Amino acid sequence: MRRVTVNVSREANASLNDVTVVLDDRTILRGISLELPPGLTLLRGTNGAGKTTLLRALAGLVPLARGRRSIPGGPPLYIGHRPMLLRGLTARENLSFLAAFRGLVSSDVAGALRKWGLGDAMDRPIERLSAGQRRRASLARIETEQVPLVLLDEPFADLDSDALVRLRAALNTALVRGQAVLMATHMHHELDQDATAHYVLDDGALRVL
Amino acid sequence: MSALDRALLVAARDLAAERRHPDGFVAALTFTGLLVLIESLAFGPGQARQPGVASALFWIAVLFAATLVATRSFDRELEDDAIDAILVLDGGREAIYAGKLIAIAVVLGIVALAAAVLSLVLLDLEVALAGHLALVGILGILALPPVIVLTTLLALRVRARAALVPILSFPILVPQLVACTQGAAAALTGDASAAVGWAGILAAFALVYGVLGLTIVPAAIE
Repeated sequence: MRRVTVNVSREANASLNDVTVVLDDRTILRGISLELPPGLTLLRGTNGAGKTTLLRALAGLVPLARGRRSIPGGPPLYIGHRPMLLRGLTARENLSFLAAFRGLVSSDVAGALRKWGLGDAMDRPIERLSAGQRRRASLARIETEQVPLVLLDEPFADLDSDALVRLRAALNTALVRGQAVLMATHMHHELDQDATAHYVLDDGALRVL
Repeated sequence: MSALDRALLVAARDLAAERRHPDGFVAALTFTGLLVLIESLAFGPGQARQPGVASALFWIAVLFAATLVATRSFDRELEDDAIDAILVLDGGREAIYAGKLIAIAVVLGIVALAAAVLSLVLLDLEVALAGHLALVGILGILALPPVIVLTTLLALRVRARAALVPILSFPILVPQLVACTQGAAAALTGDASAAVGWAGILAAFALVYGVLGLTIVPAAIE
């Protein structure tokens, strides 16, 4: 089975070109153009500015009314507000399934979950984990699905200080691997120094900080 | 990884979740058993034992059970946005459709088997052609889920999904229901050629709606 090799050049891992998204007759994103080279890009904006929609547009989860999305390295890893893990399965089963779906059967799921402090909890059904543990399990996918583009929507939610340290370590590893990480967050001060680019979304329009 | 591998992966994941929390299965099993029992009582033992009536009662119960199982399966997907993790991936939409079809057909097969035993015992039915009855049963189980899964996916983000799915799918499923009922009745009475004919129609329905779903779903899911 294939193991993803991430391109470490400075070429964009993903781009949006003049993208407009309209949902329920409301224009959420207006003519967004964006290139995501390897590195950490922070996305800021007030509540309802369209951050989640921008990430979902990149993930292919919302239809584009206009424009084009390009992700040469294949489908991104998108981790949204919720854990996106199936209840009834354990953390290990969920992550193994998602890695296997990408053809990454050699992925070290147990090792990744242990790194996130879930050594004892990885074989418990997801619904028996706390919100913070579920969030940790979903973030462990950064390690198990090493893809060129990672999209994180408010990853700090539900995390304690220990998990914040682990997230920082996971991001650093991802950046060393040459992955592009786009993170929508209100807690940008936590990562300002690590970020290579900052954007602000304001009423559906994107500007560089 | 081939499309079939991905579909089987989704099916295995669904069945594992259903095995750990068999709420959809238990609800469908209870509902089907009670429906067969109540319908039999409502018709009275004489009429309920007639092959056409007994078959119709059985397949109506199975149809409702299929809706219950599918609804619970998609509720689970939406609880923590688990479905989005698959929709992002290449071939994810087709895999969700095909995987759900397989998983729901397996669960429905077990529910239908239990309901069939209950019907046979409760109504003291005589089966003239057991093999033909099994063939009609298997093809009926394969013919019902494609339409139900397709309509559930089309109504995925609609709040009134539980009401909308039967409203959308049941009119489309009338021909399948007729074929299931007629095929089973023919097998009960010993009309082999009619049973095979209806079984063929069910196979065609399963194939046509299965392929139609695979064609529509990638563009239709939001």
